[in-house]
Amino acid sequence: MNGAHGCLATVHGVALVGLEPRPVRVEASMSPGLPGLRLVGLPDAAVREAGERVRTALQRRGFAWPSERLVVNLAPADLPKAGSTFDLPLAIAILVATRQLRLADGDQPWACGELGLDGTVRATVGQLPTTVGARDLGAPRLLVPDAAAPEAALVPDIEVVPVADLTEVAAVLSGERPPRAAVPAEVVDPAVGAELADVRGQAIARRAAEIAAAGGHHLLLSGPPGCGKTMLAHRLHALLPPLTFDGAQEVAALHSLAGERAPDDPLSRRPPLREPHHSVSMAGLVGGGAGVPRPGELALAHRGLLLMDELLETPRPVLDALRQPLERGEVVLNRAHARVRYPCRIQLVAATNPCPCGHLGSGGARTCTCRPDRIDRYRARLSGPLLDRLDLQLELRPVDRDALAGPPDGEPTAVVARRVAAVRELATDRWGAGTRNADVDAADVRRTCGPNVLSALADALETLGASARAFDRVLRVARTVADLDGADRIGRPHVDEALAYRLPDASVAA
Amino acid sequence: MTSVDARLAELASAVAAPGSDPGRLVAVVAWLAAPRRGPTALRRAVVAAHERGEADPDGVGLDAVLPAAGPTDRELRAAHDVLERWASLRCRVVLVDDPAYPTRLRADWPDRDAPPLLVLRGDLASDRPAVALVGARRASGYGTGVASWLAEGAAAAGVRVVSGGAVGIDAAAHRAAVEQPGGTTVVLGCGHGIGYPRGHAQPGGLFDRVVASGGAVISEQFPDQRPRAGVVRARNRLVAALTDVTVVVEGGERSGALLTAGAAAERSREVLAVPGDVRAPGSAAPHRLLAEGVFPCLGPQQLLEQVRTAVHGVVGWSVAASTSASTSASTSPSGALDDGAPTLPGISPALSTLPDDVHAHLSTVWPRPLRPDDLATATGRPAPQVLAAITRAQVSGELTVDTDGVRLRRAPAGRQDRG
Ligand SMILES: [Zn+2]
Repeated sequence: MNGAHGCLATVHGVALVGLEPRPVRVEASMSPGLPGLRLVGLPDAAVREAGERVRTALQRRGFAWPSERLVVNLAPADLPKAGSTFDLPLAIAILVATRQLRLADGDQPWACGELGLDGTVRATVGQLPTTVGARDLGAPRLLVPDAAAPEAALVPDIEVVPVADLTEVAAVLSGERPPRAAVPAEVVDPAVGAELADVRGQAIARRAAEIAAAGGHHLLLSGPPGCGKTMLAHRLHALLPPLTFDGAQEVAALHSLAGERAPDDPLSRRPPLREPHHSVSMAGLVGGGAGVPRPGELALAHRGLLLMDELLETPRPVLDALRQPLERGEVVLNRAHARVRYPCRIQLVAATNPCPCGHLGSGGARTCTCRPDRIDRYRARLSGPLLDRLDLQLELRPVDRDALAGPPDGEPTAVVARRVAAVRELATDRWGAGTRNADVDAADVRRTCGPNVLSALADALETLGASARAFDRVLRVARTVADLDGADRIGRPHVDEALAYRLPDASVAA
Repeated sequence: MTSVDARLAELASAVAAPGSDPGRLVAVVAWLAAPRRGPTALRRAVVAAHERGEADPDGVGLDAVLPAAGPTDRELRAAHDVLERWASLRCRVVLVDDPAYPTRLRADWPDRDAPPLLVLRGDLASDRPAVALVGARRASGYGTGVASWLAEGAAAAGVRVVSGGAVGIDAAAHRAAVEQPGGTTVVLGCGHGIGYPRGHAQPGGLFDRVVASGGAVISEQFPDQRPRAGVVRARNRLVAALTDVTVVVEGGERSGALLTAGAAAERSREVLAVPGDVRAPGSAAPHRLLAEGVFPCLGPQQLLEQVRTAVHGVVGWSVAASTSASTSASTSPSGALDDGAPTLPGISPALSTLPDDVHAHLSTVWPRPLRPDDLATATGRPAPQVLAAITRAQVSGELTVDTDGVRLRRAPAGRQDRG
């Protein structure tokens, strides 16, 4: 391969399949023949265009385009290589192969970034997971676009070298100029969020938010418009404990891949809150797009809250698509070339109207005009496996003006958040790091019950005509209630309270 | 009656009510089953026969209409099919001149619109005082709550509750009355074979429970008559005609409940209307009646007073003691009106699983519901405590929970003098 006029140059890049990094070797060599560029192992149209971009960028920066035949190979060939992140490795490989650049340490460099036609190095999506990937694949040092350096520098144990343009790249790699040090983005702790005490006259709703936050339970809110469903969801979000650094980084990586964060945004420890509209497409929810699919709302809500308003207006197939990710904690997208996985350990807050007209149980000025059989049918759409995952179910009603105008009748967010954090720690001690009560196998929860509690629960469910599948749901909530109570064993009062968090029967006339 | 084959005779005997003549049943059904005939046609034919002086002035006039030569073979085949269907549905048929035909209806034959026959499952108990509780399918929690309250109170005192078979107010009334001594009668707006509404007609559903507990499900239609609008309207007048007092609980401006009320008024039976929320569309029908001078219905106690006034001297009956409100056999007409005020079964705070203050608040608003949040505010108890108490009381059967909130299932003991 090594021709008389040049040498084989190798530069490393990183391809992402989901969050998973795969090494890509960019090899360039000169061979006798007609002048031209031959790219091998490039199925993706975007990379094909890279040839033209790299050529123009090099020429603008005063480098020579070879008058011989240039062969460039991106290996392995079967890996889908999307995007423009291989521009920079490609340009470096060509410079080395054409002997316009002599590497100072004789090593094979790692690089990523897109080239502008003027030879500047530009940021691409996914800098954070790309950098994590490069480190995990053994790269000691990574050349990154200047603009993306703050994001890349968040990753420990790898030297991040910001480069502004091809001139600087050549100067740094040849040793003419020392590399600049990258300044990592700021890590910010969340300020106290939405104020729980603002939820007035709804002590039960506040309590449910506390339990949901403490146990990580999915929450179903039913109530007429204006009863504060979204408001409560935002308070629940504010109660969630801050993310660990690794957690925050994982969340940022997903948002970076989806192009949802700028590379110099600070790294936030606040768990994400996503609120897709009920008309969200399947691809928008689970992820999609050409080539390697991008993360959807589920993955973007990883380690945080996914608020689905008007759940019953969401098309059935989209609802069904929610189920497996909720159970597995990851989204799996099958594509021709690869199976892409994104983590989505989310807490779902689903909101719905109580009936088709929305006013059932509003009391006051609006009256429900739905026929009882219509209400039954409407509610029946909620049944099934998805409902079984929604541990806490709450009926919300509009609050009268007096209560809204009056003084707060509940505790502030900061106070409740401390209890939430304490229960999360208890759960970590009991079940293992990062495991919440909602994640635990029901069989394990059963072992923490006091005497006669299980039989009492079975009797109660039977009497109340609730589905037997509600059993585990109620137990998981009871575990959290007991934890908030400081009780080691689940007792009757805990189960009794947990049982109250289910939707009442659709109508008396059913 | 010339040639009724053995199978037809057997079917007719199975379907005919006790004391009824199976041959005559075959003749009437055969007449009705012919094309362009039906209950109304038969009634008109009888009226015409009376006007022509062909019918016995003291009789029901059927003999003047039914052909002396007996039904044709074709009519017999049709009658066979209908009787076979009724037999398979375990129905009995009461003819207008049978002893079991309700006294309240007999005066309406043939000049008003009493049906020539009634098809029934179960026990009509037509000598019991009876009250119609009617209203819309589209019912509010308030409407169904009041319907249950009135129905339970009336049936517990030995009064038969009568209503249609629809969802909403009808169903709430039947459910509350079904296990009570007075029992309940469902008047179908279709034939017995249609199974409508499906949820109530399915095996083990509301209709089966009504029959099993000593009540009745009745229809004046052939088994496969579908619930057309005209048939359902006819059903409404039958509900009124079978009862002493009609209560309109809830209904819109054009509710069928107004037809029932009109039918009751035509027969000089008492009509009461339940006052509702003036903003609710479901209050239109009762409020229109109230504006027209109908008495408001203020509770089971007052309803029972009205029933007593209506039946006094007509049918002897006694008020069932509230303590024996468990079996349907506890009401036997004693021939004398019991002067003691009927009471409603209730649960005293001492027997309640609820904390006293929670019980007290629910009693105060009863039969209206309270939202759990308001209960927490009113008692000053923390939400977890209130929720746990609600669950326990729900499991013990003391409370019901629906979208309107929580309410006591039975009248609280301290509230019996109300109304
Ligand atoms: Zn509605």
